[in-house]
Amino acid sequence: MLLPAPRTLLFRTAIGAAFLLMLAPVAMVMVISVFRQEIVSFPPPGLTLEWYVNAWARQEFARGFVTSLQVALLATAIGVPLGTAAALALQRSAIRGKGALNTLLLGPLAVPGVVAGTALYMFYLRAEFWLDRDLTATLEGLVAAHVLLTIPWTVRLVSASLQGLDRAAEEAAANLGARPLTVFRRVTLPMLRPGIVAAALFSFIQSFENLELTLLLVGPGRTTLPVAMLSYLEFRIDPTLAAVATVQIVLVAGLMLITDRFVKLSRVV
Amino acid sequence: MAALVLPAGLLVVMLLVAPMALLARISLNRFSPTELMVEATTAENYWRAVQDPYYQQVLGTTLGVALGCTVLALALGFPAAYWLARMESRWKSLATILVLFPLLVGNVVRSAGWMALLGNEGAINAALMGAGITGGPLPLLYNGGAVVVGIVAVVLPYMILTLAAVIEGIPRQAEEAAANLGGRPMTVFRRVVLPLALPGVVAGSVLVFILCMNAYATPVLLGGPQFKMMAPAVYDQFVRGNNWPFGAALAFILLAVTLVLTVVGSTLLGRRYRAA
Repeated sequence: MLLPAPRTLLFRTAIGAAFLLMLAPVAMVMVISVFRQEIVSFPPPGLTLEWYVNAWARQEFARGFVTSLQVALLATAIGVPLGTAAALALQRSAIRGKGALNTLLLGPLAVPGVVAGTALYMFYLRAEFWLDRDLTATLEGLVAAHVLLTIPWTVRLVSASLQGLDRAAEEAAANLGARPLTVFRRVTLPMLRPGIVAAALFSFIQSFENLELTLLLVGPGRTTLPVAMLSYLEFRIDPTLAAVATVQIVLVAGLMLITDRFVKLSRVV
Repeated sequence: MAALVLPAGLLVVMLLVAPMALLARISLNRFSPTELMVEATTAENYWRAVQDPYYQQVLGTTLGVALGCTVLALALGFPAAYWLARMESRWKSLATILVLFPLLVGNVVRSAGWMALLGNEGAINAALMGAGITGGPLPLLYNGGAVVVGIVAVVLPYMILTLAAVIEGIPRQAEEAAANLGGRPMTVFRRVVLPLALPGVVAGSVLVFILCMNAYATPVLLGGPQFKMMAPAVYDQFVRGNNWPFGAALAFILLAVTLVLTVVGSTLLGRRYRAA
């Protein structure tokens, strides 16, 4: 039977416009990163890759990239196990107040970045006074803040995996004499792998590109890549900045392709 | 097993709940130019924010942009979501990834792309002048229009993915029955698909409206110095003004206005849904 989808011009124009709006700015950044002239103008007088070298030579971008990478890797390494454990407790144990706990753990997604960011900044300043040590502009401070970002994504994605999991395999393993920890390690965990991989991808990217929560927690000498890019862009857009942005675009695309091999991304979102 | 929830739970309490309680307390303090902040219990920061014409205007701009962008994202996103949800070929996963990809790329990167497209030397102005349509560059960047375009582009993936998930759950037979009974494609779409997709419309609009109200990078980079929205205004108080109590009050006003409007909006839409 024919699909009764409207095929009017208006309908098609809307679809085209939506994809154009979403993808054109990303494509444009990649295009101007190879323009030879420093002041971006169309058509370009020639093409070059030297801006990539130039971008890496700029301290704020090189250091920002390394800091963002460190923070995102550490936050993912801490947050994904914590979130997975919490998802297991929420889905498998008989604790009371599951609804409230779930809301609490998804909280970092629901609270706007402006509120969470300013609140965390005030909290760090107060904690610095009590503990008599720095928290803002430190790696620990940034990682702690970003772990907060990874928890709701992990709880959501791993919970969804747990709900769709067939328990017969676990029961069979237990009946055959496997101890609970062995069942978990050899049966449950492998079946949860797609959910955990997806959680790690979203956690890493959320942390790597975060701006609002990070903005007030950086300082001289320790800034993240998005914050460095934002302060640069407040003055100008040039091929050097576009080269930095392109590196981030390629990183995200690469991570998505790798993840897609483990878990069909079109099914997790 | 239940104890497994503790580490993550405590972390969220310590790094989100406690800081928000502290911010709420700070919003009741008094600002002093010499000591920065004096302990007090006063609502004067909230009063000042509500009565100051400048902040009234900033809040008005924010509301206007957020409502406009939500409506635009819905109008542009619905056809794309429907197309995506009803796709059956192997292209479906590619199309989904193309929607997800810009969402994951980040707002700063995409704002940079808009600057390169809309600037005086940008691609659109170069094309217009090259074709002889305009003599000089059009002022496309650094105004409200650029911010609206930029924010719509940022929120479209969220809208499309939310709507597509709901539309996929609508049985195809409902559409086929309506078509068999003589409904033309556009009529079927308007009278069958749209009403059944209303829960998705509510969920998508609420999510997108919240994102628009709190947009930061897009208004800062595409709006220019004259254009102010609430999220940048809040950060300004902490970075430039150092008036923490007032900044805290602004943050809670933004949170409260967003919350009230999303509850009112989704109740109104929900009522229509039950009536339909």
